[in-house]
Amino acid sequence: MADVLGAFEQAVLLAVVRLREDAYGRAILKEVQKRLERDVAAGAVHATLERLENKGLLASRLGSGTPVRAGRPRRYYRLQPAGIRALNDARAAVDTLWQGLKWPLIKTRAMV
Amino acid sequence: MTTNPTVQAAPPRWAEWLLRLTLKRTDRESVSGDLLEEYRDTVVPARGKAAADAWYLRQVAGFVWRATWLWAVLFSGAFVIRQAVDFFIPTHDFIVRSQVTTYTAIALMAATSFWSAWRSGSVVSGVVVTIAMTLIAAVLSVAGVTLLLAIWHDPATLKAAADSGGIEEAYVMPFILIVPALIVGTIAATIGSVGRRLLIQREHV
Repeated sequence: MADVLGAFEQAVLLAVVRLREDAYGRAILKEVQKRLERDVAAGAVHATLERLENKGLLASRLGSGTPVRAGRPRRYYRLQPAGIRALNDARAAVDTLWQGLKWPLIKTRAMV
Repeated sequence: MTTNPTVQAAPPRWAEWLLRLTLKRTDRESVSGDLLEEYRDTVVPARGKAAADAWYLRQVAGFVWRATWLWAVLFSGAFVIRQAVDFFIPTHDFIVRSQVTTYTAIALMAATSFWSAWRSGSVVSGVVVTIAMTLIAAVLSVAGVTLLLAIWHDPATLKAAADSGGIEEAYVMPFILIVPALIVGTIAATIGSVGRRLLIQREHV
């Protein structure tokens, strides 16, 4: 079975999927902030990217720098087959949990 | 020719230096570049230089916290447990207790420094991260001891605290430990950094 992903790990991996060839640190940070609709620390995203890469769910390569970055290179991330499996498993797990329930939930007497 | 002022804007140099010390050697350029790009492209134009500097410092603090929190929690945990043992199980012979806490503190300082120097390949990184860890642990320790005394402040506990070195010691000692952290940190960081270099050399042979 693939790795069990946390919600934040899923947000980071899905940002990499959405950004395709443009998935580098800052772009991933902004995408995660946009999707989660909250301020996210750069360190949190960086630590998650490092962990996902160590788990083999992501791979990275260095790109070129730009003047605004003082010439420092960007590190681009790419989803690995294990990452695709992990995301599919995470989605399947949520779908299974919700099976037979209508969404959004409406408060009923039985829940009170 | 005009130059874009935001491209010239720079965060505090010391903060950038501290950031780079908390990062792995391979991530140093790319991560500091990401933060600089966000700082210049988004934060300075939207909030101004002073607020952007504050944003940058918060980001760096997050990196420092992530590099140190686990060690700091272990370190302060050991300190607070020692205080609790002294408060609740009074003794006149502190030799064994002192030895246990001293060796635990040295081991945690050395581990922090070695790990950081190994990860970054830099002796300075090991030393700075260890000092940062000790400072954070000192704050956590003071909070822990305060909580202990807030809950248990009966005459017997206060007498045991006074007999074990006094309450002042519990508040001052965590900060004094920065001095041994500097010494232990330097030794362990040197071993970590040199060890990593030797390993890399061996792999390349």
